[in-house]
Amino acid sequence: MPVFKTPFNGYSVKFSPFYESRLAVATAQNFGILGNGRVHVIDLSPSSPVINELIAFDTADGVYDVAWSESHDSVLVAAIADGSIKIYDTALPPHSNPLRSLKEHAREVHGLDYNPTRRDSFLSASWDDSVKLWTLDRPGSLRTFREHAYCVYSASWNPKHADVFASASGDCTVRIWDVREPGSTMIIPGHEHEILSCDWNKYDDCLIASASVDKSIKIWDVRNYRVPVSVLNGHGYAVRKIKFSPHRRNLIVSCSYDMTVCLWDFMVEDALVGRYDHHTEFAVGVDLSVLVDGLMASTGWDELVYVWQQGMDPRA
Amino acid sequence: MEKAINRQQILLQHLNPSAPSSADQNYNSALSASACLAGDSAAYQRTNAFGDDVVIVAAYRTALCKSKRGGFKDTYPDDLLAPVLRALIEKTNLNPGEVGDIVVGTVLAPGSQRASECRMAAFYAGFPETVPVRTVNRQCSSGLQAVADVAAAIKAGFYDIGIGAGLESMTTNPMAWEGSVNPRVKQMEQAQNCLLPMGVTSENVAHRFGVTRQEQDQAAVESHRKAAAATASGKFKDEIIPVTTKIVDPKTGDEKPVTISVDDGIRPNTSLSDLAKLRPVFKKDGSTTAGNSSQVSDGAGAVLLMKRSVAMLKGLPILGVFRTFAAVGVDPAIMGVGPAVAIPAAVKAAGLELDDIDLYEINEAFASQFVYCRKKLELDPKKINVNGAAMAIGHPLGATGARCVATLLHEMKRRGKDCRFGVISMCIGTGMGAAAVFERGDHTDELCNARKVETNSFLSKDAL
Repeated sequence: MPVFKTPFNGYSVKFSPFYESRLAVATAQNFGILGNGRVHVIDLSPSSPVINELIAFDTADGVYDVAWSESHDSVLVAAIADGSIKIYDTALPPHSNPLRSLKEHAREVHGLDYNPTRRDSFLSASWDDSVKLWTLDRPGSLRTFREHAYCVYSASWNPKHADVFASASGDCTVRIWDVREPGSTMIIPGHEHEILSCDWNKYDDCLIASASVDKSIKIWDVRNYRVPVSVLNGHGYAVRKIKFSPHRRNLIVSCSYDMTVCLWDFMVEDALVGRYDHHTEFAVGVDLSVLVDGLMASTGWDELVYVWQQGMDPRA
Repeated sequence: MEKAINRQQILLQHLNPSAPSSADQNYNSALSASACLAGDSAAYQRTNAFGDDVVIVAAYRTALCKSKRGGFKDTYPDDLLAPVLRALIEKTNLNPGEVGDIVVGTVLAPGSQRASECRMAAFYAGFPETVPVRTVNRQCSSGLQAVADVAAAIKAGFYDIGIGAGLESMTTNPMAWEGSVNPRVKQMEQAQNCLLPMGVTSENVAHRFGVTRQEQDQAAVESHRKAAAATASGKFKDEIIPVTTKIVDPKTGDEKPVTISVDDGIRPNTSLSDLAKLRPVFKKDGSTTAGNSSQVSDGAGAVLLMKRSVAMLKGLPILGVFRTFAAVGVDPAIMGVGPAVAIPAAVKAAGLELDDIDLYEINEAFASQFVYCRKKLELDPKKINVNGAAMAIGHPLGATGARCVATLLHEMKRRGKDCRFGVISMCIGTGMGAAAVFERGDHTDELCNARKVETNSFLSKDAL
């Protein structure tokens, strides 16, 4: 299956919601600790096992995450470690990019999520403990959500309710927000350790998953979050990112500092259904294609982006 | 750089599930940031601040005084050493019992007697009996050798904190040869040349490499001028520890208590015409005079070294990092050329070029050899001996190395970040040279886990 080598350490990979062969990759030099960053837009060629780079954008600091616009097929948003958010249009010539640089966060921006239902706005989660709401056409943020007591690592829109989202923080909580409300509507003290990622189930708007430094993934029902619906154990180190499958209700993918990417079915007792150990450094970015059932992508600090079909060997 | 450390810390906490909560900073798992050799090809400024660096946290000296006539003519050698040793402890608030060794460079005194005097000086300075003392003799570079020995011992892990010092009272111990000379020396020219008076080797250097009397006198004038300016502006106050002692009036025999805190050999009004009147001492038609040779002096210096990690733990300011040391051999008949060989060796060992060096302390044993070395290495005169040197301040053989460390590091501190690397060097009687490279302690960042970057083409500093 195709592999793409990035010059810097991979931080995030996202499938385009418009083109089944297109992906964006966020990378940062020196493991994101110091140096430049680069966003790659890459394309799988249908015939050969080669990944072509369509365009790349250099940044002055590391890039920690990217998100594709849900409304424009060529627009993507990048989370930069210097606290800025940059908007790029791959259809425009290089000198017109970035379209916009939004500098409000005081510290590293670590996670982005584009609203999939309203399609006009996106969220940014930052190490300055806040989440911000943005639209493409405004120079400033619409709202700032400031309740977390430590770094916010990710934010995720509810797939059904256009105004509801969740945020995962190092303060060991997941918070549920409604942008029409002044404060958070729910606080889930989900883990004993930092929570690095969260995601909503794409078929059940009440189910949310959280991934933690405690090596576990927990599935919660927001109607009764005293007890998790399920606890997925199996990673050897902190779980960095999780994502529900857009195609199967019970399937969830995760990547971890233990260098593996895992697939889970949270409804069965033997939840771990697949483990991929193709990365040779921390696996920090993973995504599932919305357009192609079972197409997966991952990236890590080994500077490699793998794209493969579920069930196949990424290295084959 | 703070940003990078914060990022590193946040990521490290992800790997440390034993910490009860994220905000808790005191994690103690087996996982921690480790150093790797990024070397010169790191994507940013060279990063080489490691916990096991040997750093200098304090360096002091006594004033240097003319032997037999100056301020220390009636001071016992141990009373010269004890004040600088005590100053190291007092100014840093270090527990003297933590010092692993005191190494004293000293040249002219009988070996065992001087070793005993140094041990006694340590007691006078307030060191407990548990702290050992030894001496080292590499002639004129003994003080620097003592500092290098301590640095090497710290590197080797023998101890974490040590003192390198230097002591010479040329009043008490004039240069002399005891007993008879082995007649075998006549069979070997090099051995015989070891017996040459230093002034004769100076004449040899001047003659062989064409250093003129005028150049030498000019160097002496410069040395006095710079030393006088440094004294007048109070620059030496940072490094000189006042010594309370006595002076005996040679005529009446009256004892008078005094505190000596200023070098007394500096003649601010020295001029070329005055020096031109002096007669050559070692050769009728020679060029080496009392005016363009180093002064015979009494004095002491001491340098406190420790591991960087220990210094940081104790919160001590890091004056400089001891980078490299090199001792080399040269022809004994022209022993003064030593620095011209030793400096490139030490600088190369530090992975540097001569151009990288911002400041030099090159001992002026004689103007002839000093001028030769400066010209041979094509050094910028503005970088050398900016506060004068041995021709004005004096050259108490064993103490000079330690004196230079104090002078160099305090000057580097004054000059700030533009002055990153400094070199100390001197020639050594019987044909040798020594040099050491020092680096400012605050000049490196603490992050040291950068990967080697194959090409720098990805570094787009102007990227948006």
